[in-house]
Amino acid sequence: MFNFFFLSIFAAVIGPPGLELQSTNGIVKVKVFPPEANQRKKMWINDLSFKYNLVFWENSSHAQLQNKIVFPVDTIDDLAPNSTYCFKVQANLPMEGKKGLFSPISCVQTTQKVQDLLCATNLSVVALNMKFQLLWGAQGEQEEVTYNVQYLLGYLKKLNDDYSDKWLSVPTCENISSTWCNFSSIITTTAFYYLRVQARQGHNRSCLSREVKVDPLKTNGIGPPGVRLDLSDTLLHILISPPGGAEDELMRDNYDLSYRILYWKNSSHKEEEVKQKEVKQTIATVSGVSPSSLYCVRVQAFSKPYNKSSAFSQQECVHTPADESSSLFIFGIFMAALLVVVVVAVALVFVLYHAYNKIKYVFFPSCQPPLNIEGFGAELFSSLYLSAAEEPVESCCVIESMITEEGNQIDFTDYKHSKQSSRDSGNYSNDDNTSGSKGSKETLEKETV
Amino acid sequence: MNAFGLIQIGLMLSSATIISSLQCHHLPLQQRKVIENSLRLLDKIGKEFPQKCLREKMSFRFPMQVLQPRQKETVGVAIEEIFQHIFYIFSKNLTLAAWDGTALDQLQNGLYLQIEQLEACVIKKHTQHRWSKEASRLKLKKYFQKIDCFLKDKKHDLCSWEISRAEMRKCLQLIDKATRKLKN
Repeated sequence: MFNFFFLSIFAAVIGPPGLELQSTNGIVKVKVFPPEANQRKKMWINDLSFKYNLVFWENSSHAQLQNKIVFPVDTIDDLAPNSTYCFKVQANLPMEGKKGLFSPISCVQTTQKVQDLLCATNLSVVALNMKFQLLWGAQGEQEEVTYNVQYLLGYLKKLNDDYSDKWLSVPTCENISSTWCNFSSIITTTAFYYLRVQARQGHNRSCLSREVKVDPLKTNGIGPPGVRLDLSDTLLHILISPPGGAEDELMRDNYDLSYRILYWKNSSHKEEEVKQKEVKQTIATVSGVSPSSLYCVRVQAFSKPYNKSSAFSQQECVHTPADESSSLFIFGIFMAALLVVVVVAVALVFVLYHAYNKIKYVFFPSCQPPLNIEGFGAELFSSLYLSAAEEPVESCCVIESMITEEGNQIDFTDYKHSKQSSRDSGNYSNDDNTSGSKGSKETLEKETV
Repeated sequence: MNAFGLIQIGLMLSSATIISSLQCHHLPLQQRKVIENSLRLLDKIGKEFPQKCLREKMSFRFPMQVLQPRQKETVGVAIEEIFQHIFYIFSKNLTLAAWDGTALDQLQNGLYLQIEQLEACVIKKHTQHRWSKEASRLKLKKYFQKIDCFLKDKKHDLCSWEISRAEMRKCLQLIDKATRKLKN
């Protein structure tokens, strides 16, 4: 059943849509009803996929047919006032490659357009790095005029319903007196919008401007990227900061950004060729840069899918250092030469000193006797002179008296001391008496222990 | 119509083609963004799938052959038609779904942007013609017709909306996979 139904789509014809017209203030409001609008069983289930082609002409002798693709609810302006215009519309399905039948012709008289100087005119959108601004002009001298910027989500016009109550105010642009509005806050990238300005004077007067369509990614301009240069060995590193800032991935993500780098050697005496490099990353490297040269760089961001490019960044230049290997070589040579000079100087000083001594010895000897016999005579005479006074006669006598006293009073403690002293200092062979008496006591002690 | 007139028409058409073809380069990139965004927004518009709706769950059987056609260029056009169907489904009476209106608006707006820009792209007309002859196209229409009928029969109640939303998520995930494969 289903298959038969769908096969018949190939043969089916799209019926005529319904059409309603309303003439007001020099414009004609159009309302299109999809074919099969009142039918319960439909051939064309998705009535939102229709594209309506409106054909209209001025009912005069030299009528020229005009074509316009219209939404189900739309307006036709730029019409001559006080004239009769006739309209007919057909519903098409571009996907199927089908064109529908035309509706019956409907004619309407246009009215005189009342120029309201209150209305905002010349609406334009300026956008850079996803910051959107709406600008407009005021007609004539108007006092106490306030503006209210409104936006409509693009898809609402596609629906068959009236969207006039679906306009919303841009948050920071309500009741303002300036003629510009930053509407970045309402923008998302996969979307599109219509904008209009409502001008108000007092409580009674208000006027709506024409609408302007905004497709964010198409309208937006890409700003220039930031550039920083870095050097290492013979490599020049180009560090790019994306437009819109590093933290804002929006630009890079939606535009699939690439970067075009222009770089050249800036020399005063020769015209250097400007080289170009295209990269997707935010870091690029140029190899084989010459030493002791000035290199300059400019970068441009571009989007291949959207066929958009930014202005070039500011020029950044950097000096490449002198060749490190040659300077090292020079330094080495210098140090070696310095070392040689120092060694030679030291040797020279040494040789000169030695020569001076020799010469002094040979040609200018001193009269002093040699050192080895100089002090000898003095000592001999001084010791002979003193020996008579130092005869130890008295000490012999003192020692003898001490021995006799000790012989009577010896006990164990004394003996221990003498034992120690005899151990420590060896034999006292000079005084036989002392050692003899002590010796007998020692042998007694040894037997008892 | 003399020869000069024909030449003029020919020149105008070719220049229109050139001008319009410039409008097409961004479409594949934008399509990927719309798919990504739509998946994110589908999650955002409502909460978790309600338990009570599990017993009403239906199998709609998305026709996979639509994303594997004989000619690779027609996949892009097939995706545009799927967007149109999804756009149509979500334009119906959503009162009982009680979803986040702002997120839903963004979802619809994104889908419509892609649909509208493809229509402006002249080069795609040739591919559109080839796509219109594809056999799997009917299966795709049948699939969406089933979902539409299901919603109508259930009078667009909460469960029918949640089931349809889950089905659309599955559909977009399959498209996402197919486009990533094509990109590689």
